[in-house]
Amino acid sequence: MEKDNIIEVKDLHVDIKMLEGLLTPVRGVNFEIKKGETLGLVGESGCGKSITCKAILGINEKKCVPHGEIMFRTTDDEEIDLLSLNPRGKEIRDIRGKQISMIFQEPMVAFSPMYTIGNQINECTLLHITKDKKKAKEITLEVMRKVGIANVEKRYKQYPHEFSGGMLQRALIAMALVCYPKLLIADEPTTALDVTIQAQILELMKELQKEFNMAILFITHDLGVVANMCDRVAVMYLGRIVETGDAKTIYANPQHPYTRGLMGSVHKIGGRKDERLFSIEGTVPLAMNLPKACGFYDRCDARIEGLCDKAEPELVEIEPGHKIACFNCQNPACIAHREAAMEQIKEDEAKAAAEAEENAKGGKKRGKR
Amino acid sequence: MAKKKSKEDYYLASQWTLMARKLKKHKLARVSFLILAILYIAALFADFLAPYGLEEFDGLYKNTAPTNIYSVYEGENIGPYVLKITKSINKTDFTVTIGEDLSEYYKIKFFVHGTPYKILGFIPCDLHLFGVGEGSKGGTGAKIFLFGADSLGRDIFSRVLLGARISLTIPFASAIISFFLGILIGSISGYFGGVTDIIIQRIIEVIGAVPQIPLWMALSAAIPPGISTIKMYFYMTLILSFINWTGMARVVRGKFLSLKNEDYVMAARISGVSTWKIIWKHLVPGFMSYLIVSMTLGIPGSIVGETSMSYLGLGIKSPATSWGVLLQEASSVTDIASHPHKLIPIIFVTITVLAYNFLGDGLRDAADPYK
Amino acid sequence: MEALKNFFRKDLVQYIIKRILMFIPTLLLISILVFFVIQLPPGDYVSAHISALASEGELVDADYAASMRADYGLDLPVWQQYIKWVKDIIWTPTDTPYYRLYHSHHNWKFSFAYGRDVWSVINDRLGITIGVTAIIMLFQYLVSLPIAVYASTHQYSVGDYISSIIGFIGTAIPNFILAIVLMYLSYKWTGSANVGLFSQEMLLNGVHLYNFGEFLKRMIIPIIVIGTSGTCGIIRSVRAQMLDEVARQYVLTARAKGVSEGKIVMKYCFRAAMNPTVSGLGGVLSSLFSGSTVTAMVLNMQIQGPVLYKALQSQDMYLAGGIVMVQAILVVVGILLSDIALAFLDPRIRYSGGGR
Repeated sequence: MEKDNIIEVKDLHVDIKMLEGLLTPVRGVNFEIKKGETLGLVGESGCGKSITCKAILGINEKKCVPHGEIMFRTTDDEEIDLLSLNPRGKEIRDIRGKQISMIFQEPMVAFSPMYTIGNQINECTLLHITKDKKKAKEITLEVMRKVGIANVEKRYKQYPHEFSGGMLQRALIAMALVCYPKLLIADEPTTALDVTIQAQILELMKELQKEFNMAILFITHDLGVVANMCDRVAVMYLGRIVETGDAKTIYANPQHPYTRGLMGSVHKIGGRKDERLFSIEGTVPLAMNLPKACGFYDRCDARIEGLCDKAEPELVEIEPGHKIACFNCQNPACIAHREAAMEQIKEDEAKAAAEAEENAKGGKKRGKR
Repeated sequence: MAKKKSKEDYYLASQWTLMARKLKKHKLARVSFLILAILYIAALFADFLAPYGLEEFDGLYKNTAPTNIYSVYEGENIGPYVLKITKSINKTDFTVTIGEDLSEYYKIKFFVHGTPYKILGFIPCDLHLFGVGEGSKGGTGAKIFLFGADSLGRDIFSRVLLGARISLTIPFASAIISFFLGILIGSISGYFGGVTDIIIQRIIEVIGAVPQIPLWMALSAAIPPGISTIKMYFYMTLILSFINWTGMARVVRGKFLSLKNEDYVMAARISGVSTWKIIWKHLVPGFMSYLIVSMTLGIPGSIVGETSMSYLGLGIKSPATSWGVLLQEASSVTDIASHPHKLIPIIFVTITVLAYNFLGDGLRDAADPYK
Repeated sequence: MEALKNFFRKDLVQYIIKRILMFIPTLLLISILVFFVIQLPPGDYVSAHISALASEGELVDADYAASMRADYGLDLPVWQQYIKWVKDIIWTPTDTPYYRLYHSHHNWKFSFAYGRDVWSVINDRLGITIGVTAIIMLFQYLVSLPIAVYASTHQYSVGDYISSIIGFIGTAIPNFILAIVLMYLSYKWTGSANVGLFSQEMLLNGVHLYNFGEFLKRMIIPIIVIGTSGTCGIIRSVRAQMLDEVARQYVLTARAKGVSEGKIVMKYCFRAAMNPTVSGLGGVLSSLFSGSTVTAMVLNMQIQGPVLYKALQSQDMYLAGGIVMVQAILVVVGILLSDIALAFLDPRIRYSGGGR
């Protein structure tokens, strides 16, 4: 793993065995995050974003089985594969909340209504920093002040139902940051809040990131927020990453047909009033028993028949830092990838035809059944 | 094409079709439903299915074990038959030995004429499914007691069948009454809130606080003695409903309180829909499935309660019979030790209760939209 | 420590006061219900008294009966009779015939079958009834809670299924049959019928530490018989609640913080799952009184059940009403205590004023 990177996700697959078949919400996710940078993970609802980030911490349900590698840099010289750790074991529990933290979408249900906010944030402090109750409370109060909660002494003793939505999200952020984690995973933290509060929370996160020098994995489906917050972007569709690159590059010059569709769907200020809103036709298919083809095939306006429905494109670097998984891209690296895929298809078809002949001959030899 | 159609079906199917479909998959619920259906049908045709009447007795057969059914007599296979029992008393230590008279056999006949009864209370009939007629040598007096006899020599099998009529229907009828009563009062309480709610809540709390069986006992003791069976049945059902409606009312009220502030209720009110219609057409169907589950799960309690009451002599009294009355026979340890067959009615109670429990569980799983 | 400090928070104290105030109308309504039941059988107190006297050979003439009726206020309209009954129970002043006879300020009227005042009959067995009920309740929770937590965290395991099956059987078999069967089995195995709660020796000398063991031995069958159906109900309900709780978002948050699985289950899930269980305490108490009544008769236990039964058989309605009233009061006290415990457990309840 590169020295700069704090985390590298390599070929992550998550399978869920169901009665109807094998559900594969994550089918090959690759990305990396540098120290101190913000990566935005963008995609429609149901593309597998949440499961991916929960897999990093190992907090998916038991029936979700992950495969692949997630390399995490614990110190300057050490790295560890998070997927190799027992999800219930002590090692990963030491990392959770301390080196990697997570904040969630709905702050209202993220806290238990039975205990005070102070108690729940303090739980993190007591678990990872110090067992001294007095000291722990000091630390907790300090981080609560940092996230902008007024009257911390009073608030410490209050219950979640006495907080507003925005205040709760601040408390959630406080809980995630109290141990100065290296990586913060934010799973749609502002989706449930109204726009003004959203702006405040995003400002807060940017400040804290600078102060704590932490990396952020920011999951969202809101492209405006991505433009505001993220250094780099990874676009996800049907369990795979289809494009990654700098935020500026992706926004200015989206290459993948899906990314282009997404950018096109954002209604811009200054556009014509009577223009119909653009949307990508079709809907996300169910990730079960998928054929070997590009996931975006049905909805793509640049699909190549005979190729895109028979093979899946891999991520290919077309410029430094900009990767794309598409057969239709005109970049030389992509073209090479396309030709390799077409070769492979021809080989496979030839093999399949040969096998079919073998079976037919064999059947004839055996005579009537 | 065909696959697409069934998917559409699924999306358009009503709540009940969905529930029924899910229920059919639940094996235990299906089996339970079948068992309950068999029991209720048997109770319906009890007069026909039972070889003997309710009060028929034979002193010779007091406390005897279930009759043995043989088919081979002296080496020949002659079809199912029974033997008449013999009783001999040992003159020195007064022990009674019960044996079987091997001298003649009594064939089991089907569709025999036996004790007369009235279908629906007024059509006279005397046909029974099976019975025992004259012996091979013209003798009489053999009986076929499939479950043995009680202390008076009455057939327990017949009495179980005939008792099923009461034991199976009183809980069910009272559950239905409680159901409607509970929905009515619960919806008023939940929808209108305020003072009405507080008063009704206190009443529910009160009835719930008084322990059920003591309350039932007290109410049963208040029933004037010596009244007709029908009136008795009526009173028992009423008492049960009175005690049980509170459960349903509580559930309904809870649901109402949480649902009445939903947007669709507000929309209906703004459109000018009358209060009553809002309650019955919009709110109640939303949790009807939950109510049905509640009702089904409440029946076992009533069954056990009625059985206990009748056992104590506070419920059904003769000439009517319920399974609880039958269990009065099994009242002492020594009695059961020597005549364990008297415990047979308990199997029926247990099976009925378990069946209702499983059916209720199956209904609950089927009604759960999140599974 | 923090928990105890929480106990005296203002919102909790307010809630407790509110609940205690609501306690009073409930009691009043119960008394109306009980009084109604007492009045149901044909005839009244005086005619029953007269026939009791008659069976001993004493004849009473119409005038005497009329004056008795006036004395007892039986010629008043029913609602006034009710008020008199309640007043007498709460406080009977010193210059009344009742006080002169029994030196008690609480007139629960007279029991014909026992030939003495109702309260002394009730009091005879009140202590033991409460004691037995408390022991069984303790047993129920001690057994059911661990099983329920285990069943919910190891769903579909063998243990889960076994506990379900035991649960079903417990509810399906009526108490008295289970009692008889168990008595029969114990008779077969131990050769002695362990009937009654007290041995001869204990009846003479009372229950002390040294014969408490004997008392517990005799409690085994009652605990199993009366306790099982309640245990099953608790297991089913707690298990369902736990399953709900384990799927909640805040469990995920706690896990993401690095809290261990065991701590999550006990600190978060269990406490939340206790919510409906604690509010069900009153119902459990009520069903214990119910269940023990019938079972006590079969097992010959010296609690109030058999007394109630005999009273009803002889239409000794004031005694019957008194017993029902006392049990109802105990249940309501239980409900009150459980409501307070619930408010202590779940902060949301204090805020919203309770969901009752």
